[in-house]
Amino acid sequence: MTSKNIDLVQGTLDMLILKTLALEPMHGYGIAIRIEQISKGVFQVNPGSLFPAFRRLERSGWIKSEWQATENNRRAKYYILTAAGRRKLETETQEWGRQIAAIARILEA
Amino acid sequence: MVLFRQLAQGVRALVWKKHVADELEEELHAFIAAAVEQKMRLGMTREEALRAARVEVGSVAAIKDNVHDTGWESIVEAVWQDVHYALRWLRRSPGFTAVAILTLALGVGANTAIFSIVNSVLLRPLPYRDPDRLVRIFFNEPGVGLRDVTFSKPELDDLTNRSGVFENVSAIGGGSANLTGVKQPERLEFVLIGFDYFTMLGATPQIGRLYGPQDVVPGFSPNVVISDALWRRDFGADPNALGRTFRFDGDPATIVGVLPPGFRHPGPTVSGDVQVWAAAGFSADPFPKPNRSNNTLNAGTIGRLKPGMTLAQAQARLTAMAAQIRKDFPTDYPAQAQWTIEIQPLQEFMVGNVRPMLIVMLGAVILIVFIVSLNIANLLLARASGRQQEMAVRLALGASRGRMIRQLLTESLLLSLIGGLAGIATAFATLDFILRFVPASIPRLSEVRIDGVVLAFALLISLLTGLVFGLAPALHSLKVEISLAIREGGRGSGHSSKTGRLRDVLIVSELAFAVVLMVGAGLLLRTLRDLLRENPGFNPTQVVAAKVWLPVPDDPKEDPYRGITPKAAFDRELLRRLKTIPGVELAAITTDLPTTSHSLNDPSGNEALSIEDRPVESSEDLRAERVRISPDYFKLMQSPLVRGRSFSEGDEDGKQPVVIIDETTARKYWPGRDPVGRRIRFGQDPTRPWMTIVGIVKDIKSDGLDIDGVPHIYVSIYQNPWGAQSVVLRTSLPASVLESQIRHEVQTIDPGLPVYGVSSMNDVLDASLASRRFSAQLVGGFAGLALALASIGIYGLLAYMVSQRAREIALRMALGASRNNVLKLFLQKGVALAAIGIASGVAFSASAASLMGSLLYGVRPHDPTVFLAVPLLLFAVAVVASYLPARRATKVDPMIALREA
Repeated sequence: MTSKNIDLVQGTLDMLILKTLALEPMHGYGIAIRIEQISKGVFQVNPGSLFPAFRRLERSGWIKSEWQATENNRRAKYYILTAAGRRKLETETQEWGRQIAAIARILEA
Repeated sequence: MVLFRQLAQGVRALVWKKHVADELEEELHAFIAAAVEQKMRLGMTREEALRAARVEVGSVAAIKDNVHDTGWESIVEAVWQDVHYALRWLRRSPGFTAVAILTLALGVGANTAIFSIVNSVLLRPLPYRDPDRLVRIFFNEPGVGLRDVTFSKPELDDLTNRSGVFENVSAIGGGSANLTGVKQPERLEFVLIGFDYFTMLGATPQIGRLYGPQDVVPGFSPNVVISDALWRRDFGADPNALGRTFRFDGDPATIVGVLPPGFRHPGPTVSGDVQVWAAAGFSADPFPKPNRSNNTLNAGTIGRLKPGMTLAQAQARLTAMAAQIRKDFPTDYPAQAQWTIEIQPLQEFMVGNVRPMLIVMLGAVILIVFIVSLNIANLLLARASGRQQEMAVRLALGASRGRMIRQLLTESLLLSLIGGLAGIATAFATLDFILRFVPASIPRLSEVRIDGVVLAFALLISLLTGLVFGLAPALHSLKVEISLAIREGGRGSGHSSKTGRLRDVLIVSELAFAVVLMVGAGLLLRTLRDLLRENPGFNPTQVVAAKVWLPVPDDPKEDPYRGITPKAAFDRELLRRLKTIPGVELAAITTDLPTTSHSLNDPSGNEALSIEDRPVESSEDLRAERVRISPDYFKLMQSPLVRGRSFSEGDEDGKQPVVIIDETTARKYWPGRDPVGRRIRFGQDPTRPWMTIVGIVKDIKSDGLDIDGVPHIYVSIYQNPWGAQSVVLRTSLPASVLESQIRHEVQTIDPGLPVYGVSSMNDVLDASLASRRFSAQLVGGFAGLALALASIGIYGLLAYMVSQRAREIALRMALGASRNNVLKLFLQKGVALAAIGIASGVAFSASAASLMGSLLYGVRPHDPTVFLAVPLLLFAVAVVASYLPARRATKVDPMIALREA
């Protein structure tokens, strides 16, 4: 894609998807767009990594899916955060915060 | 929960494959549609938006693949694909598949069968409560080189009361006895035990009860416990058998309990499983008075260590106790004997003597499975070269090397698994059949079965062989050069040096393993042949033997054969009658039928001896085996007298006591002097009369063909009768014909006497070699198989090389090489491989052969004949196996070969 797009840190895509779904259920493209918008275009997630991530999260029981009509009256698969997913997001966020803080300390030292 | 969801969704993905794929397809379409809408909203035209969205999404197929790969079911699918492909590949070459599976089935089957024996006999714990605390207790006199000597009741009590290391102790005596008061008199195996025996082993009765405190008496208990087998055979499994009384060597015995079917006495027996358990207190009639000087109890003793007591701790305490006892009773324990007590784990005691044989057999079957797998590796490698092109094409089409290796390994593992399952099935089907050839002298055979451990071992062996022969082609496939292989199309100079070297290594190791097996087989077969040729000291042909036992009741009033006179009268009458059987030339009696195995507690073992005019202090190491015979014995057995005379009818009770000694005795105790006319007696009791030596006979191998150097002293059965006797007849009739007549004559005299073990003397000798014959033939058979496989291996390698190098040969010949040169080229290769393989095999055998030392007789582990014959034989076979393909190389027509190239 474009040069401003950088690779996601390994394992953070799952966290971003969970975070995005924490607001409301969304379909695949919606999630991709939301991540791109909020990151101000830094992260562009392509379907090649997005769809396997959906499958992975679904298998782990953190999200579930449902076919629903979109705002434009199309059928789309909506992903919904489960209670387990919410807990997972919480611990992931904390862990991420700890890591960021630690890295920041190292870089500033 | 997560696991369950993983499983459920994975299975769903497998089962509803189409549905799941469709759903993903639809989701992707929805994604693209949403992207298009978004982009149009940003101002693109429909076509631009569609193109941009497609570019963004990329390859839909790749996404599907990625999604598919996230679940475990994708691995299942890949493996299934591999298996599917492997099966197709196996079906495509039925010849190779059949050979591989058959040889594998043979190898794994043999391993399974032999390991099931090893597992049951050597590895599985004894089937008693806490078996690792059970020990065999020995009284030893290391100072005079004696093990397992007789003991006294106070010594037995010391173990229980004083040592503080045992929870229970039980003396184990016994042997066989006549069972009467049932339909037909029978000869039964029995053990005489202490009252603690069943508690010690943790046994429970099937019906009735076992011995308890209420049974304890100083002498014999009138109650007996019987085996499940006896209960079913003689009492029809009738619960009312409890309380029934039968006669046991004349003594009344009342059944109080029946043991469950699985219970077996933990010890060696003479001729089968123990059927009757009788208990005694070992301190009143008929046992000697419980003094330390009466150390004549003849029993193996078993004990159970207290919980938490280690073997070393117990041994240390027993050693200390023995030292204290020696100090306390110096007159009963001569200092030079160094009397002491030793213990050994019971399992070790029971199976220790068959361990070397079983280990060698297991080694043989493991070697054979190695050879089988090397052989298959070789075949696979030859085929791998042929598959180079296929591999190259698949690589070129994008298959990863990892995937290729996985494919090849799947093929090999599948092959080994099929072969292994066939082998396990073979073992299951043939185990009973195989066990019939296993000598009955191996303990615990009745416990042999294929259990989980054996199955795990068999599967492990199969998988290991699969890995061994699968790795070679897999490694080989790593070397495939796509461009080269495709261009050359597997033809041309397809012989890569890499494959060549790998195949060389395989052949060399195959030959080396074959050498090891053949050397082992050679040593065992030579031992067997030497033993069969061994002069037993008598002529066994046309001799029939049968066993008759005069009972020894504990109550003297019940004994019709008490004392010398009635026994001698019985023997004379028996011999008179036997000689009247038509076709019987001679009849004699012996108490020690040559080569029949001795029971653990056989009283005819080594006896202490006194020699007249010899200082008493040296008497400790004077020992000999006493054999009681009737006058015609030596004449019948055709054992020549060296000097003096044989016994006569006149050597009877009341006359001068006489003995005949064998040459070993003469050499050992009267070296360089003439023993005839000198006098000896058994034991050190000065009141017993001296016995005069009247003759010397050639050595007779009484104790087994493989046992030499035991001194024997023969006494007249009329002067010193004994209940356990064998009759021998010189006759041209077979044993089967004589059996009923012998029984008739014996039971005419006394209907209560069983006759058993009727067989020709040659069969008796044969049976004594059963376990040696079994191991020799088993290892020999596998050695033959190894030889065949190794020669096939060499042949196959060279034949392959010839076909691969046809063009090179043609070129050489076109350039002037003679047929001889070509022949030499390939012969040299075969001979070089054979030489390396054989040399390393010989080196390995030489270092391992001494492990077999205890199985050999008359042959040294490094027997030069074997170590010369085996390499020569294998070398000759290897040369022939290389010559055939080498000759074919000379038949290459340069014109044709070059034109085809």
